[in-house]
Amino acid sequence: MAKVLEGPGMGLLRKWGISTPNYAVVTSSDEFDQLSQVNDWLQKSKLVVKAHEALGSRFKLGLVKVGLDLTAAKAAVREMLGKKMETLTIRQVIVSEAVDHKEEYYAAAKSTRDGVDLLVATCGGIEVESNWDKVKHVSIETGETLTDSALSSLVKDAGFSGDTAAKMAEFLKKLHACFENEDAQYVEVNPVVLSSQGELVALDAVTLLDGDAKFRHKDWTFPFAAEFGRAYTKNEEEVMAVDAKVKGSVKLIEIPGGNIAMLPAGGGASVYYSDAVVARGGKLANYAEYSGDPPDWAVEVLTEKVCSLPGIKHIIVGGAIANFTDVKKTFGGIINAFRKAKAEGKLQGVKIWVRRGGPNELQGLAAMRALQDEGFDIQVFDRKTPLTDIVDMAMAAK
Amino acid sequence: MSILATKDTHVVIQGGLAGVNAARRMAEFRYMIKQPLNVSAFVYPPDAGKTNEIICGTELVMIPIYKTVAEATANHPEINTSLVYIGADRAYAGTMEALNDSQIKTVSMITEGVPEKDAKLLGKHARKLGKTFNGPSSIGVVSAGECRLGVIGGAFDNLVACKLYRPGSFGVITKSGGLSNEIIWICSQFADGITTAIGIGGDAYPGTDYVSYLEMFENDPQTKAVVIVGEMGGDLEERAAEWYGAKKRRIKLLAVVSGFCQESLPKGMKFGHAGAKEGLKGEGSARAKSEALKKAGAIVPETFGALGPAIKATHEELLKSGQVKPIPDLAPADMPKLPKTVQESMKEGEVLVTPLIRSTISDDRGDEPLYQGYPASELINNGYDIPHIIGLLWDNRLVSKQEAEIIKRIIMLSADHGPCVSGALTTIIAACAGIGLSQAVAAGMIMIGPRFGGAVTDAGRWFKYAIDNKLSVDDFLVYMKKNVGPVPGIGHRVKSLKNPDKRVKELVGYVKSLNMATPHLDFALEVEKITAVKKDNLILNVDGTMAAVLVDIGFPVDSLNGFFILSRTIGMIGHWTDQKKQGSRLIRLFDYLVNYASPKRREVPPLK
Repeated sequence: MAKVLEGPGMGLLRKWGISTPNYAVVTSSDEFDQLSQVNDWLQKSKLVVKAHEALGSRFKLGLVKVGLDLTAAKAAVREMLGKKMETLTIRQVIVSEAVDHKEEYYAAAKSTRDGVDLLVATCGGIEVESNWDKVKHVSIETGETLTDSALSSLVKDAGFSGDTAAKMAEFLKKLHACFENEDAQYVEVNPVVLSSQGELVALDAVTLLDGDAKFRHKDWTFPFAAEFGRAYTKNEEEVMAVDAKVKGSVKLIEIPGGNIAMLPAGGGASVYYSDAVVARGGKLANYAEYSGDPPDWAVEVLTEKVCSLPGIKHIIVGGAIANFTDVKKTFGGIINAFRKAKAEGKLQGVKIWVRRGGPNELQGLAAMRALQDEGFDIQVFDRKTPLTDIVDMAMAAK
Repeated sequence: MSILATKDTHVVIQGGLAGVNAARRMAEFRYMIKQPLNVSAFVYPPDAGKTNEIICGTELVMIPIYKTVAEATANHPEINTSLVYIGADRAYAGTMEALNDSQIKTVSMITEGVPEKDAKLLGKHARKLGKTFNGPSSIGVVSAGECRLGVIGGAFDNLVACKLYRPGSFGVITKSGGLSNEIIWICSQFADGITTAIGIGGDAYPGTDYVSYLEMFENDPQTKAVVIVGEMGGDLEERAAEWYGAKKRRIKLLAVVSGFCQESLPKGMKFGHAGAKEGLKGEGSARAKSEALKKAGAIVPETFGALGPAIKATHEELLKSGQVKPIPDLAPADMPKLPKTVQESMKEGEVLVTPLIRSTISDDRGDEPLYQGYPASELINNGYDIPHIIGLLWDNRLVSKQEAEIIKRIIMLSADHGPCVSGALTTIIAACAGIGLSQAVAAGMIMIGPRFGGAVTDAGRWFKYAIDNKLSVDDFLVYMKKNVGPVPGIGHRVKSLKNPDKRVKELVGYVKSLNMATPHLDFALEVEKITAVKKDNLILNVDGTMAAVLVDIGFPVDSLNGFFILSRTIGMIGHWTDQKKQGSRLIRLFDYLVNYASPKRREVPPLK
């Protein structure tokens, strides 16, 4: 899944005929000044200014300001741009036109195993959280078409009537078209408002697209955003750049404050290793994973990042018995990075724990074991030691 | 018995290099169980009409490549399964092609990064047709003692270590490729091994889920228990739990679910598998899944590490109740072994190979060439020069400084002789005809023979014959006239006593100035004295001079033409480059340079 920020998300809705308020994503105060000179709506309407970054709870952080006139909006833009929030600096804000409205509704489309669910409710905004039972849905099976009769009974079921029911049915039809054609996995419009002109307008959008489908969407020129309420770190971005280039995969997510560094192989096994650390009361310093027989240099880059995590006490070089990832080759990358880190004065007092099997396991494990002679504090185990026992040993070690 | 991949499975592999690699792995498995390869065909349009070479034990089997699945199945009516190794952007169309083929009942997709929508459409289509679509992102399927689809199980040694040469009693279903192998290993060490292990792929919506495979295992009498390795996200584990709890099942179910760490991690964190993602409302957590499975009566160990002992306990129960019998282990000598390559056997000192060729001059196996054992870089750094390399490679010895100087002068004197001589002219004609460097130089080289530049060896041979047999000049000339003909190395087309060859004078003068014995050169000069009297141009030519000098410094007779060939190559390369630089056009001989001595135009007589 790939999260898309509000601006490009709104852009996709517009593309499929859904009305949105006027909006502009701006990256500098000067740019906003220029925009305000040519756009009527910026001068005449009440405005909303929001930080346009992958951040959760923007309201609480004071990064959403509503009901502003142009002067106040300019001040808000100036204040937000460049503001530092922990790991992130705000580089973009989105300024949108406030829409006069009485009613707020909820609409969403979400991927399910059997197809897609369209969800709708007569209550929108924060109301919907406490009224989840009012959200009605219709399921459209994979490969089936959405019928008008299914739509009209859905909106009726949800409590819409008259003209608004017809408009909401039309809105959902467009939302479904957008969802299907844009390879979306989740699109939530909350709220959908009925403007004083009697038009349904999408005020906010949460959009998750299928990153794997990027090859057939040449117009997806926007970057994907981190999905966990913060921006990617420099190290994460560097590993992502490597991941995008190589056969196989390398992944890294940093978790500040932990002291157990993870360097396991395999998308499946890596999670069991993380589970084992948490189950023993340890604090993860990161999540990492390499798999699919990546080149040694890619594993080396990943290892360098892991070695430079602050305050780590252990590194868990775990892994199941590989099918085709060459243990000797990938360990070669890890060993290079270990040596480099040690030469740079890192890894002092860090214990390294290794468990692995797979093609060329004997040579790979022997090479790791030989690091003991170079002064590394390293323990090496083969397939006979159960998968996560090294975590138990690490957590028991002082 | 087993499911999905059986002894009756015959495969078409769709895709290129990764598919070929899978076929090789599958061939290793079939060799282990002493069965012929079950890959019948490949479908890969760029190579259609060719074959892929697959090593099966000690044999190489050629497997045909087709453009379409339909062609493959038409030519191989036994095919019932397709493995998809096509890139994510083309995988949908290729998989549809396989599903729509009436012969194919099972399609397993290895491709990763397939759009979710495509995977859902393929799954739906397969269900509609009553076929099995496994994957995407599947590591494969393996049934012990019967069939392997894909690279699941890893290297040959691992297949043997995991006892995959004979069936056990445990079925395995995992999302993760690496963990499938881990569980296969655990089942072989803590119990009697597996029947079938299936990688369903780590995507959000696998084409076929746990429930369908559990149903198949339930109907497979050989399988007594099934191990599921689940992960957070989606509802596959919940559905499996629901299926298991719905009624009394014959098979025992063991399960572990990963993702407990999620509870203490930033929300929405993306793990290795696309499917490993908790729902937006918290559904599909590892805890919820584990609870559901436990409630349904499955054995759910607290950690992955506890899975081994749980599998062991289950196996002991099965033994106790008589549902399974103990399977004796194979003696080490009876374990299947892959044939070794010649290199491997030699490394282990098991075989002696009679070499095809013998080389006494150089060795390329290190990080730089060794000439007669001397590293090229060290020769350079110790001041040695090209003539020394010639000495090492042509005569297996390091020549002296003085000898090197003579060789250098010989090369310098005979590097070129203008554009008119046979060799250069031929090279130029070739260059003008647009022929490439190596061919044009080779064309010039072909001219080197008895009449042009190629007399050095013969001259050396006969001068040496005379000296070795202590012949007088007169006896030598008589012998040559009777047995050989004109003396090689004597005579020149244009040079004569009055118009001497400066090169000969230069070389002779230099060699004679040195403090060295020159019996062959002296003899050759004596011969010239007599022949030049008979005829003005029967002088010692450059070939003869070089020959005599080189025999004097000890070069073997057979290497002597090499000095001319080597030197003149410099000139020929120069002529080719020269023409190329000028952009010379095709040339032909002017007809006035030809004496047309053939009959004049005349009537063609009627054909008889």
